[in-house]
This record gives sequence, structure tokens and C-alpha cells, in this order.
Amino acid sequence: MEPIENIEAIIRKKLHAKADVTLHDRVLARVRRAYQHEEHTTSALCEPAVRRSIMKSPITKLAVAAAIIAAVVLGLFEFIGGDGGSGVVWAEVAERLEASEAVIYRVTLSHSTLGDNAPDYSMSYLSATRSRQDAYKGAEVTQSIYCDFENETVAWVGHEMKRYSQQAMDEQTRREQHGAWSNPTKWVQEFLSRDYTELGQKTIDDELCDGIEITDPTFVTATFAVETLVARVWVSVETGYPVLLEGDMSGGGIRISGTLDQFQWDAELDESLFEPEIPEGYEET
Amino acid sequence: MLDDRILLWRLKRGSPRALRRLYGKVEADLLTLATNLLGRSDRAEDVLQDVFIRFIESIETFELTGSLKGYLAKCVANRSRDLMRRDRSRPTGPLELAERLAAQQPGPLQRAMASEQRQRLSEALGRLPYEQQEAVLLHLQTGLKFREIAEVQDISLKTAESRYRYGIDKLRSMLNGQADK
Repeated sequence: MEPIENIEAIIRKKLHAKADVTLHDRVLARVRRAYQHEEHTTSALCEPAVRRSIMKSPITKLAVAAAIIAAVVLGLFEFIGGDGGSGVVWAEVAERLEASEAVIYRVTLSHSTLGDNAPDYSMSYLSATRSRQDAYKGAEVTQSIYCDFENETVAWVGHEMKRYSQQAMDEQTRREQHGAWSNPTKWVQEFLSRDYTELGQKTIDDELCDGIEITDPTFVTATFAVETLVARVWVSVETGYPVLLEGDMSGGGIRISGTLDQFQWDAELDESLFEPEIPEGYEET
Repeated sequence: MLDDRILLWRLKRGSPRALRRLYGKVEADLLTLATNLLGRSDRAEDVLQDVFIRFIESIETFELTGSLKGYLAKCVANRSRDLMRRDRSRPTGPLELAERLAAQQPGPLQRAMASEQRQRLSEALGRLPYEQQEAVLLHLQTGLKFREIAEVQDISLKTAESRYRYGIDKLRSMLNGQADK
């Protein structure tokens, strides 16, 4: 008989059993039955909230709507390249986003109850401890919202009405805003429990992207009962960063749809950007 | 590790997709380990199923400290050892495993040689003291570190390393002894 020279390599690589299809299906079916009988923690999706105390104006309703859309689409990041192997590795996307200290992005939104009051778009600036959102009509900034999660304050400045408000965040707002805005990984994890549909690839702004979609209305809790939902996320195959996020939800006669794009991930943001700018002569609300 | 943490998080929230993914990820390695430890594929199937169901039943309170595969491999080793102790009978080599593996080889000559090598190795593994066989298979087939093997077998790190080394030396001795026959 020939001697066996490399015993360790043979044990490591060659002495493998492979489950045939019947065995695989049989065991997996039994395990799944056991799994279905177990009770699991339900996904506790947060409602991105700017509380009623400062949200009486149509403009602030818009901010809530933007937050909802952002929550839906931000949470989808982690799905990229997940179980389906779309080409973008979700774990790498997650790590990349976790490492991104700050991000800038554009929000374009339509809200059925706002009509002409809706701005054309908003620019959002988000760091680990602060956020700012400027709403635009044409080239003019119509309102700004500043959140300071360390000092737990929220400020709103309405340029069209020349009014502003500054107040402490209540506990719920602090928790929800912090979860929504400062740590996308939290959102990512919240959404990981849901199934999604792969959309394949398409080119967006000259970048080849992988896309996925989710349509389960229970995916998000909004300020109204969501009856229909379509949310999509597109990630650049080359960079692994999200390029376009799309969301559309409706219920109770309300419909919100929008996109997040023009991302600048891992951006360097000056702290002064987050200091509320209140022009002279503005009245406090 | 991130992959495992997120898989576990999804499992705790009732994701069937996560269950399929975890099962598909570890099935082959765990089945190999159980088959080699027990020498019987029917028993290996039972062990695989028992381990997964027990894992699922404890999922709500389960805390991950290493890799999921490492944890499940330890469970397979413990469950296999329980079965072996209960049966008090040790089958010889897993011949059916060698036969199954033979079909994966490219040419008739290579296939025959590889099959013969594996069969001899499987039989030799079956003649090792069980603790040594377990140490060898856990280290080489599931990638467990000696520290983890020591935990599984409730022994010191040095003893785990020794069991592995003695096992490999005995295999080499058995197989090289046969080479001259």
C-alpha cells in the first residue's frame, strides 16, 4: 500500500460528508417546524418623531415625513447582498456605514397632505451626535431643523414665517431621533428580520448598482396606519455605498413617497454647521 | 463574526431565511463531524437534528461568545459523545463515507487511490481512543482551537494539545505500518 503522507490535510479537506437532498430537506423541515413553534421577539420599529409640541406647522409635518422615509430606506442598507448574494456584500456595507462618521444626503419628498407647502428637496447633515436638515424651495432655504443628541435639544427655524423654536427633547424624541439619525446600524439591525426581493442591477448616475425591495407594510410604523409600502435601496457595486434610496407608503388617505440620493458618506462636517442660525427679528414660537 | 451576530439577531426575531442560511452554512461541516465521530450516517443525521432543535429552543436566551459554527460543533461533539457512551459500542470505520467520497474524484485511477486512502484513514480514525479522535476531528474539520477543545472535553489546554498530537502520531504510525504490507 502507498503511504499516506499528509494525514492532517486529508482529514481537513477530504474526509467530508455531504448531505444528500433528501437528508437535507428532512432535517431542515424538522428544524423549521421546531423554529415555528418558538416565540420570537417582534421587530420594534421606531417611529421617527419630532413631537407634537414643535410639530404643529405643515413644515414640521414634512420633517416627520422625511424622517419616516429616511427610516424606511436607511434601515434597508443591511439587506444589500444578503442571503441572495447580489454581488454587494452586506456585511461589508454594514461595516462601511458603521465606519462612516458623518453623511450628507438629499431628500426629495412628496406628501399628500402638504400640497404646495412641500419644499422641492431637503439637504440632511448627520453626525454621531447632531443632525441638521435644510428644506429648499428653488435656491432658498425655507426651514431648518437642528437636533443635538448630547445636549438633548431640538431647534426649528422657519424662514418663510420668520419664526423659530428651541426646546429640550423629551425622552421619546431623544430615543427615537437618536436611533433614527445617529446610528444607521441600529436601523440596519431592525430591518434584518424581514425578507426582501432582489431587483437585479441597473445603472444610476453612471454607477452600476444592485437593488433590493421590500413591500411588507408592517415593515415600518408611521404616524398613520401604513397599508401599502414599497421601499428600495440601490448600492454601488464598485464602492459598496448606497447611492439611491426610494420609499412609497400609504394608508388612511395619506401617501408619502420620496428618495434619498446625492450621498456623501464619511463626510467631514464642521461642528458649526449644527449650531442653529436664527436671524435677527425672528419671533419665538 | 458580524455575519454570525446578525444571523443570530435575525433568528431571534423569527426569520425563516436566517434559519435556512445558518443551516446551509454549517450543515456539511457538522454532518461530517458527526459522521466521523459516530461512524454511522443515520446517527449523524439524528445528532444534527437534535443539536439544531435544541439550539432553536434556546435561541431567545442564547448569547454568542464565539462563532456559531464553533458553538454548534461543540454541541455535535457533546451529543455524539453522549450517544457513544450510551451505546457502549464503537463502530469501525465509516466505510459508506469513503464510498460516497470516491465518486467525487476526477479519474478512475485517482479515484481508486483516493478512495483507498480515505477508507484506510477513516478506519484508522475509528481505532483511535475516542477522546483523541474527537480532538483531531474538532481541530481539523471544524477549526476549533485547542482552548475550545479543552472546554468541550473539560480538560486542560495542554491535555487537549497532547490528545491531538497523540492522535495524529498514532494515525501516522498505523497508516505507515500498513504501507509496507
